[in-house]
Amino acid sequence: MLKRSWIGYATAVGAAAACTAIGWAMHPRFDLVNVAMVYLLAVVLVALEFERGPAIVASVLSVAAFDYFFVPPKGAFTVDDLQYLLTFAIMVAVALVISRLVVSIRREAAAKAALAIEAETERIRSALLASISHDLRTPLAVMAGASSSLAQGGDRLNAEERDALANSVFKQAQEMSEHVAKILQMTRLETGAIELDRDWVALPEIVSSVLSRLTERLARNRVIVELPPEIPLVRVDASLIEQALANLLENAANHTPPGTVVRLRAQQRDDEVVVTVEDYGDGLSDRDVERVFDKFHRGSIESGSGLGLGLAICRSIVRLHGGRAWAERVSGGGTAFHFSLPLEQSPSVPAEPAAG
Amino acid sequence: MAPRPTILVVEDEPEIRRFLRAAFGVEGYRTVESASGRRGSIDAGTHKPDLAIVDLALPDIDGVEVIRRIREWSSMPIIVLSARVQEHAKIEALDAGANDYVTKPFGIGELLARVRAALRQAVRPATGTLRLTFGDTVVDLDQRTARRGGEDVHLTPVEFRLLAALAKNAGLVVTHKQLLTEVWGPTHERDTHYLRVYMKQLREKLESDPIRPRHLLTETGVGYRLMLDD
Repeated sequence: MLKRSWIGYATAVGAAAACTAIGWAMHPRFDLVNVAMVYLLAVVLVALEFERGPAIVASVLSVAAFDYFFVPPKGAFTVDDLQYLLTFAIMVAVALVISRLVVSIRREAAAKAALAIEAETERIRSALLASISHDLRTPLAVMAGASSSLAQGGDRLNAEERDALANSVFKQAQEMSEHVAKILQMTRLETGAIELDRDWVALPEIVSSVLSRLTERLARNRVIVELPPEIPLVRVDASLIEQALANLLENAANHTPPGTVVRLRAQQRDDEVVVTVEDYGDGLSDRDVERVFDKFHRGSIESGSGLGLGLAICRSIVRLHGGRAWAERVSGGGTAFHFSLPLEQSPSVPAEPAAG
Repeated sequence: MAPRPTILVVEDEPEIRRFLRAAFGVEGYRTVESASGRRGSIDAGTHKPDLAIVDLALPDIDGVEVIRRIREWSSMPIIVLSARVQEHAKIEALDAGANDYVTKPFGIGELLARVRAALRQAVRPATGTLRLTFGDTVVDLDQRTARRGGEDVHLTPVEFRLLAALAKNAGLVVTHKQLLTEVWGPTHERDTHYLRVYMKQLREKLESDPIRPRHLLTETGVGYRLMLDD
């Protein structure tokens, strides 16, 4: 802000100087009134672009320069013809009027922007309600239906049907539990209710643990893991980072065709570790690449399930750790989702005597 | 087989007690139910169960307190039921003497597997030759030898000690603190990075796919678990 007002004053001085030069060139052939018009134009432009201060400076300097260089007697701040006083007054008045107009227009624009933010918040809130009611009602409906069929069907159902109904109650309950956990997690992250429980963690262990937890979800994809053998330990909240990685993998499983490869990588880059989940789905549009980590963003092509919270949770967790999360398109279709974690100096582990 | 094992369930939610009773009945276990922590501490003394299941969020006294009271006089296996948000309470419970945990909501299969592992561990003799077999690996903790797929594998003394600490509670979770205290001593109970390094070495030597381990498992944020072949 300070910098911008400094530029304003510099522009005001520059504009007055430039007008004097132009006026000097015009002077013998053009009437003095036209030279005054050039100064007026500069004052208007400065007033439009900057605050009131630079506009007044521009008008005062213009008046002074015009008086000194052009109004007889030249080379002095005195005025022979009193009508030029009116010219001076008008120049200052124009600067004041225009800068006042500009200020009020800016205020109006700011108010409109605030309204737009409010509307966006409202849109997100209703998107939340819509997704909650859809993603929680569906499993509830299945559970109510399947369990009441079990309760009432009794012996009339054969063993296979009973198994199928019972299993679908279990499956839907698990899914709903995941949804509820995500909503709670997002709320806790947003309200700052989470305190990081940092400890030294081996990323390969987090990867192993996520892969085993998501075996079923990832069954339709081929997961290729590429971890360099000497990847350093990171000091993070292991459970949260596991959650962040799980969300990236779930996202890949939800948005790629069965049978495609999902690549999971971690690399050290300078003083951070970058974890990448790369899929070969349909890829994202430019807009989606920018916004895919936003809350409730589900992509322009509606596909699969999910609240649109997984990636937002991932980003919040990573930011809490001082890292970043971002997406980029992979040539040949597909998307790479990355997150980075800052590295700290790993503590040493005492070596054992070589002999066993 | 010994007489039907008795399981004490300390849980205030009647619906949860109901399905646990049903599932344990199917498995041939006898169930004793306590709806509060104080009641549970007393029932543990009067019924002398073979195993206790303790919910961490009880209405009267803390589940961790129930575990402490039981541990004052008994080494019966204790499995904790915890909610997701109780990460700290879970570790506290394990360090107070609980042998394993299951996070709500859980499938009954998961709980039954833990119960079986805990009951098996409780009857295993404390002394005698400790021979571990898992996958294509055989480890003899007395002789300090390890073979994988017929080949000798060299384990360092610390690797043996770590494996022994896990084996003592095979099938059950062992917390970071417990492992560090046992292998490196109480002054190192917070040096989790030691575990990261040595577990990596053990997996590379004993697992066929170290990134998808089937026996030396990580319990994120809690500890490790050694799964032996049944």
